[in-house]
Amino acid sequence: MMPQPLIALVDCNAFYVSCECLFRPDLWDKPVGVLSNNDGCFIARNKALKALGVKMGTPLFQVADLVKQHHVHLFSANFPLYANLSSRIMSLLETFTPSAEIYSIDEAFLDLTGICEQDPISYGISIKQAIQQNIGIPVCVGIGPTKTLAKLANFAAKKWPKTNGVVDLSCPERRERLMRRLPVNEVWGIGSKLNQQLSQLGITTVWALAQQPTQRMQLQFSVVLARTIMELNGISCLELAEIAPDKQEIMCSRSFKQPLNNLMKLSEALAEFCSRAAEKLRAQDSTADRLTVFIRTNPFNPQEPQYQRSATLKLATGTQDTRRLINAAKQLLQGIYKEGYRYQKCGIQLNGLHPNSMPGQTDLFANPKSSKERELMACFDKINHRFPKSISIAATGLNKSWQFQPEHMSKRYTTHWNELAIVKCS
Amino acid sequence: MVYPNPQIFYPCELPLKVSIPLFSGKVAAGFPSPADDFVEKSLDLNELMVKHPAATFFVRTEGDSMIGAGIHPNDILVVDRSLRPTSGKVVICALNGELTVKRLKTKKGRMVLTAENSDYKDIVINPDMDAVIWGVVTHVIHVL
Repeated sequence: MMPQPLIALVDCNAFYVSCECLFRPDLWDKPVGVLSNNDGCFIARNKALKALGVKMGTPLFQVADLVKQHHVHLFSANFPLYANLSSRIMSLLETFTPSAEIYSIDEAFLDLTGICEQDPISYGISIKQAIQQNIGIPVCVGIGPTKTLAKLANFAAKKWPKTNGVVDLSCPERRERLMRRLPVNEVWGIGSKLNQQLSQLGITTVWALAQQPTQRMQLQFSVVLARTIMELNGISCLELAEIAPDKQEIMCSRSFKQPLNNLMKLSEALAEFCSRAAEKLRAQDSTADRLTVFIRTNPFNPQEPQYQRSATLKLATGTQDTRRLINAAKQLLQGIYKEGYRYQKCGIQLNGLHPNSMPGQTDLFANPKSSKERELMACFDKINHRFPKSISIAATGLNKSWQFQPEHMSKRYTTHWNELAIVKCS
Repeated sequence: MVYPNPQIFYPCELPLKVSIPLFSGKVAAGFPSPADDFVEKSLDLNELMVKHPAATFFVRTEGDSMIGAGIHPNDILVVDRSLRPTSGKVVICALNGELTVKRLKTKKGRMVLTAENSDYKDIVINPDMDAVIWGVVTHVIHVL
């Protein structure tokens, strides 16, 4: 007989904050938050900060007094640190399962089928302890026969400290008890719009949703919701995706703390975004054949004259060459740029992504120089891989004055020799 | 990142070609290298000092309280969090909000953090103290 499927979702608690505090024992019991978007709003909060009522996405200026009064420690997002600790966690998790799906920087699904049927809770505890001991990041583990139930179990593990951070929903009775207590919007994939529609039908708890006939819900809503209902009833519909699918579009944009008021600076910023996007394109070895550029003023500043435009260019052939993308972006920008506005955000988007054709297999219209282009870009990436950010296209500007300098950046403890944590011999 | 003196490179006009001599053990004619069958990879310090890569961190020291253990100011310590902190090990301890290096000992059933320098006193850990063992130090990297 096939063993009953069993899936765990391991999710780090307040991951970015936990990373910031790893080398800072002085902050272990203090309110700490991580800011993103030019230090503009909170993207991670520890328990002490949540207790002060600071919500996810809260703009910093809205809670400035509270931050001062309670000595909240602020950090600018330090992604090199988070990425390094994340990859350590993921490599450790892979020792607990034959197959894992890294779902995001701080969560992974593990296939535990046939591994710990006897006692999933103890297995979950050993995973939690291993990550705490080896890396020092607290996690919660949710276990269930489907991904949707594992996700729900994880939510319960986070919400109720009494669970000690590990919840198993294999048992239907326990499932029912939990589902009757939780609102339907805590289910994976139920967004605010769907939540509203469901509540109009009187479906407010997870349990109520799980009781709906799948066929009718499929007709009335979507096959996705029908699958969610089956998953809530323990019927696995979503496979573990062990290999991340290639992206279908690549977007790169920023908002600026100091708005940009001239063509040159916008052009440099867009060139930089093209470089980033092209790097991502080459990392998954795709080409793109459509480029969109957009610029806008600050809509939250209504006294100022408002303007926003976007424009798209279809390239003759797919490319992954930074220089071709920058040229196209400049062309597009010149078409939509208007003098006299203060631009607060701009960005680019690449669409029409296709896997790069095999080297040597060129089509009739292919640029004969394209293999040279490819070699140059490969060399470019190699240099930057070895010496990060050491070489860039001159169009991105030499001083990058548009770039925001974060105020609360911690050290890159795990990726730079000259930024190691200090330990006291005293 | 802002570069104080960025260097600007321009596209090269002439096709540049550099011939690089290619050495290899395999020679079509002539004598094959007698060492070919004995090629081994070079020694890698990671292999020696990093047994558990996911759990290993590097930190830098400040102060002289561990001189006796061969730990000088500004040295780099290799810290393995996967190891059990047992009596006699040099450990990183989170104590009063600071990461400190001490030798862990048990005396009369109590945990004691000792320095390796007679200028510093032992610290006896009470249950009400805020002390957490952060990791076990396995190697010192000291520049001579």
